[in-house]
Amino acid sequence: MKYSLLLAALLSIVSCAATDSVKTQVAPANSTITVVCPTGSCSHAAAVEKVDKPVVNTPTVKKAQNDDGMVLSENKPLLISVVGQGVAPINTASPAQAYALAKRAAVADAYRLIAEKVKGVRIDGQDLVQNMMVKRSTVRTSVTAMVRNANIVETTFKEGLCEVEMEITLNRSQFPQ
Amino acid sequence: MRSGNGDNTQPFSISSIITFFILSSATLFADEYLISYRSVIQDAIVYNETLTVSHAMQKCSQNELLNNEALLLPLKKSKNLKTIILQNYEEFLEYLQKSGMKVEHFQETRNSINHATTRLTFQTHCFKVDFNDNFVTIAPLK
Repeated sequence: MKYSLLLAALLSIVSCAATDSVKTQVAPANSTITVVCPTGSCSHAAAVEKVDKPVVNTPTVKKAQNDDGMVLSENKPLLISVVGQGVAPINTASPAQAYALAKRAAVADAYRLIAEKVKGVRIDGQDLVQNMMVKRSTVRTSVTAMVRNANIVETTFKEGLCEVEMEITLNRSQFPQ
Repeated sequence: MRSGNGDNTQPFSISSIITFFILSSATLFADEYLISYRSVIQDAIVYNETLTVSHAMQKCSQNELLNNEALLLPLKKSKNLKTIILQNYEEFLEYLQKSGMKVEHFQETRNSINHATTRLTFQTHCFKVDFNDNFVTIAPLK
């Protein structure tokens, strides 16, 4: 009788352990989500972390953050580098004007890329389906930001296309905590 | 009668007062200008660009200078600020961009056809401008 009770208890423990292991195997599908919040005051990041904590394998998450290097730490400034592209208009008075206008467009594109990287992009999508057919598919993206102290590193102009490499250094102290 | 112990503080104080007066009058008579910039880029091509330079009709409320470095532009013939800026446009534009640009970008993809518009705006800001013999100093006010 004693042995049978012991066996039953052992079996129940083994079954519990088995269900736990199933849960940990299923969970990592969600554990690949990494939320980067440069301001450090992002409430969503905290929420995601809380949800994932019991099931996510924490060493892998830490490794992913280190590999990306995109999390703004207190002492280490973050360098963001982008390459903006601009095209000269067809009807220009001189090659110099074409270069100047293409550079202007490339700088604006580089600013846009910095804003997208630092602040993120708002995306709206709309599909119109009529008689079981897609009539119109629209995707709108937008970003608005204020960019200060961005530096132009290199400018190249080849075959009407101007490329501007731009860099910006982010410090944690620049963002309100 | 003055003692002969080398008390030369009075001439120094007079010269310092004169220097202070000259400097303060220079800052008082420095011109203030309102400058703004805006460029619109459509599909990677510059569509419109506007630089507005106007003399401040009343004194700017801000007196302190920003920490930003002042910009020195060479003065050739004209004493008109807009002409001087246009002669050194690239340099001035880079200076404005470092001070801070507002970026607005909109992109629409409709049935796989893409249209993008980017607006760069430097909002109207007051600058203190000093005209010297060979160069102009442009410094932003807070």
